[in-house]
Amino acid sequence: MAQSAAPQLLRPVPQAAPADGRRVLLTTGSSDAHTWNLVHLQLFLEEHGHSVLNLGPCVPEELLVDTARLTMPDLVVFSSVNGHGHLDGLRAVRALRAEADTRGIPMVAGGLLGISPEGAEQRRAELLEAGFDGVHPDGTGPEVLLERLAELIPLAALDPAGPARTERVAA
Amino acid sequence: MTRSIPAPRRPGPPDLGAYVRAAAEAGELVVQPRMGMARPEEMAAGVTAVARLPERTVATVTLDSYTRVGDHAAATAAVRAGRPLNGFPLVAHGPRVGARVAGAAGPATPVQVRHGSADPIAIFRTMTAAGLYTSEGGPVSYCLPYGRTPLAESVAAWRDGTRLLAEESRAAGTGAHLESFGGCLLGQLCPPSLLVAVSVLECLFFVQNGITSVSLSYAQQTHAGQDAEALTALRRLADELLPPDVDRHLVLYTYMGVFPRTAPGARLLLARSAELAVRGGAERLIVKTETEAHRIPTVEENLTALRNAAEQARRTRLEPAGPPVDGGEVLAEARALVTAVLSLSDNVGTALLRAFRRGLLDVPYCLHPDNRGAARGVIAEDGRLRWADLGAMPLLSAGRRTTPVTSDRLSLMLRRVAEQHDAAARQAAPEGRHEPGAQPEPGARPEPAAGAGNGTGSEQRPAPLRVALIGVGPRGLSVLERLAARCLEQPLARPVEIHAIDPYQAGAGRIWRQSQSPHFLMNTPAREVTMFSGPGDDGPARPGAGPTLAEWWAAADPENADPDGYAPRVVYGRYLSHVFDRIVAALPVGLTVQRVPARVLSADRIPDEDGGTRAHRLRLDRGDVLTVDRVVLATGHPSNDLDGPQRDRAAFAAGSATVRYINGDSAGEMPLKDIPPGASVGILGMGLTFYDILVELTQGRGGRFAPDGPDGLRYLPSGREPRIFPASRSGVPLLARGVNQKPPLHRYRARLFTPERMGAVRARGGVDFHAAVLPWLMAEVNLVLLATRIRTAAGDAVIGEAAVGAAAAADFTERATAALADADTPLLEPLSRLAAEYGVDPTVLADFDTLARPFRGKRFCTAAEFRTALTDWLRADLADARLGNADGPLKAACDVLRDVRQTIRSVVDFGGLTPESQRRFLTEFNPLAALISTGPPAVRSEQFLALLDAGILEPVGPQAVFRSDGTAGRFTVESLQVDSSRVGLDALVDARVPGTDLRTDRNPLIRGLLADGTIRTFVNSWEGHAYDTGGLASTDSPFHPIRADGAVERSMHVIGILSEHTRWFTQVGSGRPGSWGSFTRDADAIAGALLDGAMLEPTPLAAKAGTR
Repeated sequence: MAQSAAPQLLRPVPQAAPADGRRVLLTTGSSDAHTWNLVHLQLFLEEHGHSVLNLGPCVPEELLVDTARLTMPDLVVFSSVNGHGHLDGLRAVRALRAEADTRGIPMVAGGLLGISPEGAEQRRAELLEAGFDGVHPDGTGPEVLLERLAELIPLAALDPAGPARTERVAA
Repeated sequence: MTRSIPAPRRPGPPDLGAYVRAAAEAGELVVQPRMGMARPEEMAAGVTAVARLPERTVATVTLDSYTRVGDHAAATAAVRAGRPLNGFPLVAHGPRVGARVAGAAGPATPVQVRHGSADPIAIFRTMTAAGLYTSEGGPVSYCLPYGRTPLAESVAAWRDGTRLLAEESRAAGTGAHLESFGGCLLGQLCPPSLLVAVSVLECLFFVQNGITSVSLSYAQQTHAGQDAEALTALRRLADELLPPDVDRHLVLYTYMGVFPRTAPGARLLLARSAELAVRGGAERLIVKTETEAHRIPTVEENLTALRNAAEQARRTRLEPAGPPVDGGEVLAEARALVTAVLSLSDNVGTALLRAFRRGLLDVPYCLHPDNRGAARGVIAEDGRLRWADLGAMPLLSAGRRTTPVTSDRLSLMLRRVAEQHDAAARQAAPEGRHEPGAQPEPGARPEPAAGAGNGTGSEQRPAPLRVALIGVGPRGLSVLERLAARCLEQPLARPVEIHAIDPYQAGAGRIWRQSQSPHFLMNTPAREVTMFSGPGDDGPARPGAGPTLAEWWAAADPENADPDGYAPRVVYGRYLSHVFDRIVAALPVGLTVQRVPARVLSADRIPDEDGGTRAHRLRLDRGDVLTVDRVVLATGHPSNDLDGPQRDRAAFAAGSATVRYINGDSAGEMPLKDIPPGASVGILGMGLTFYDILVELTQGRGGRFAPDGPDGLRYLPSGREPRIFPASRSGVPLLARGVNQKPPLHRYRARLFTPERMGAVRARGGVDFHAAVLPWLMAEVNLVLLATRIRTAAGDAVIGEAAVGAAAAADFTERATAALADADTPLLEPLSRLAAEYGVDPTVLADFDTLARPFRGKRFCTAAEFRTALTDWLRADLADARLGNADGPLKAACDVLRDVRQTIRSVVDFGGLTPESQRRFLTEFNPLAALISTGPPAVRSEQFLALLDAGILEPVGPQAVFRSDGTAGRFTVESLQVDSSRVGLDALVDARVPGTDLRTDRNPLIRGLLADGTIRTFVNSWEGHAYDTGGLASTDSPFHPIRADGAVERSMHVIGILSEHTRWFTQVGSGRPGSWGSFTRDADAIAGALLDGAMLEPTPLAAKAGTR
């Protein structure tokens, strides 16, 4: 199945984000066709001054990694509601961590990650182990992303010779 | 496409379409769950449990997400590792396991495979190998909302998959059923009209690819009333657009958006959907469960939902039915969308691709790269889904733009139905009834009225009169010319803005555009053609005064011009553009002309800013809207839906890799280049389009006509010609036009077929053309025939000052006219007897059939024999033509038909004939008149003979029959009057010009106007009889359309081919020099009516008409 190379934008990303605005890459599982969660998160993050690149539904790992390499976002948000988020999420985060360029980009997951509530804790542990920086259980409000974004400093603010990974600022 | 594994031994589940039909006849709603488990035993158990319910159920096998996206390896790996999947991995399990699982439903319950895949081929292949032929989805509905497969790939995969399913089911001796998922799209916040449109379009796509049983889906939305309208609209459009023999039913989906969190709320929403299904006439319901909001439901929860839904349906059926629901705005919008899409291509798949590319279809909030993403749907305060932003969609009904959709608002809208039902269930008394959609939101206030200060009252200048000319070919141009000419003569009291709308070059329009073969000729001599309503003078060409085509041609291209001959159509196109430019260059103060290179997709009315007159809003295909006060419809030659045989031929060719079928309304638009050299090509119809095709396939491919052949020309082939087999009812081409011997300003004055006499005939009412009109016409024709014989028999002899022949002819004409003057019905015999006294051949022309159907009743033993007879006949006709249209008795007589056209119109137009007579007039007289009086210049007949001689042209014979030969994989044609005339064809070109019939017109604007009752077809009714002509019903001058309710639409005018049948012979593309004919008079009448009220003085219309 051919993949579209061009990521879809719900609306044009602002040329420059506000001073404390961050650049977010919004993605979902390669088998997840749901988009309302993505549309809502995009609108929400944009309303709070962040710029969002929304990859739309069914994002293959290569598209995620390629786009991440190209745009170097401050945060990758993986949102999935079809029950495969656990399986897809593992593949996605491993792919991102496998590439030197994108290894350091923070990535968080949220939504309905399994097909039933059973085993949620184990799934969470597995996902964190595989490289997610945060895994939010179903029902967590999007505000949690604002907190996480506020903790980050943009890549551009770092010493170019420094590590690629965005550092957390001590609270 | 490879063939799949043979079908299994056991008979498959019963056909879904037949099952639903039987249930509907029994008054039962069919209910169906969504259900998919990874393990075969679990899946089979679920299927069995659903089948065993006492309700009428359909069992479901829902596939998992990996199978949906074609990642069968991941599905297999998950199965092996025992990892849970969200559905049944059919492909990974294979057809044997699939058949076993479906077989668990038993012999009486249909099983539908549900999958959501943009590329269903592997799934369908496994299904058919398992003996399963019922599925759902669609090229749009399973692509745009659910993934990132390019739409073009999805359309191609669905085309192949659908064909595979259809073919395999036929091979297995059963039928396939496909349901369009188009009524669901993203589940919520998509206004119903788009859901209905996509559902209908996808089912058309299925049918075009071989499926004969379909279901059309619609998902319950936010407002019960609007949902019922949507179901009505879906039914209406399906019945209008699907072929009658295609089995169809409606399937409703219980709300697919965010579901109520409480069990009572969820039950209430499910019950509402069952009510809606019954009241809206859906035959099948796909349910949701009480736990939908929380997790994937268990089998038991699904069974409960099925029972509850079926019970609610039975209860609703016992309640009194409400009044029938009108399709309302949903129907109007859906129809506009569907017609706009279907006008993009005959191939529904291609049309869908183009529609999304242009944004004519645009799914709100859909993130797919091939979706434009400009449209927005919102829940309005009344609970209905409405458009907040239309993007480029061809709709007009969007309300005011609402506040932007924020994440909070989106979230509220997404949760609205869930919260309403949770709340309603909490408060509900046991028997309480709710109209969830109709509940106003707490604190809802009506929209504030538009600001009072926005009026235009403070402006001093009068508002301009805005006029849309829709179609700027010769007819539109003629109106513009008269408008401008009138404004030059008399000052305007208020500004007038003309919007000249045509996607092609303004002035020329589509038919006369400059991008066409230089070999196509006009069939009116250049000297008889003008677009200026008055002769040129010393001043520059301007409205009301300018050169004829011949004058302009001679000046513009002196080296190549042949002002005494027939101009190529491209030359006329250039002239028309020149006239347009001259008009625009010489506009009087106050008149402006705006060129609008676009198509109008739809039109509706809105109250104007001042709340008074209702303006027309025109939605253009380039995306914007034009608001005007007046509309002139001058859209010209129609493109119509293919009729039954044409569709069959197109389908036959589409199913073949080698055979071509070409259908188009003009040769310039036909892909004739695709016909390979040496191929056998049949041409259906031998009129003017046939000649265009002929010349394009010969001269257009490098062949030449040299002036030394036996009949005037010899053809020197290029070697790239195909073999051409033309055929028609008569078997002969149009009669050649007599060489022109009449000066441009010549006007014939009839003696017997006079306007006065025909006026009296018409005044008696209920005219029978063949009894009361045709005999006088034949008398006039014979009068000229005999008088010309008498005049020319004397040669150039002169006695004294007078030419002997002319004097004798005048004498004969006087006596013959007197002899017949008082007859009730004129006989030809007295004319013949009188003529004999002058020593000429007294044979009369008893009827036109003799001329136009020379081979009627004759049989030929071989094709060669027929061609010899045809050659002789053509030579004789050519000889007559060379004698000229004044001195050749026969061509002079035929010319009468052209000369008295206006008198014929005065009897037949606007319902002059009885219904039966008009039918005969249109089906019998009209084609004969065309054969005799609209023929091409004589050079075309010479070319015909040369091509016959060269063996390139092989006419088939009269009463030709075209067939699609499935065995040989070719078209064939044979003449019923020529033995052994059957030939196989590699290509078939339909060269008949489509007639006016609004009911099959593909122009979305015309369809929309017809559907909303702004225009209607002209139905000739008289004494209990009626004949629907298909032409646009209008008043007499100034030609206002008549609305469906019988009222006159005074803000619109119609001119030209759209009103054919209401009027006769409207396909005239030019004015004549000299005193105005109806071409110019009609245009002037419309111009006068448009300017009424914009002039300082009342327009002296009557004083002007016809006095040039």
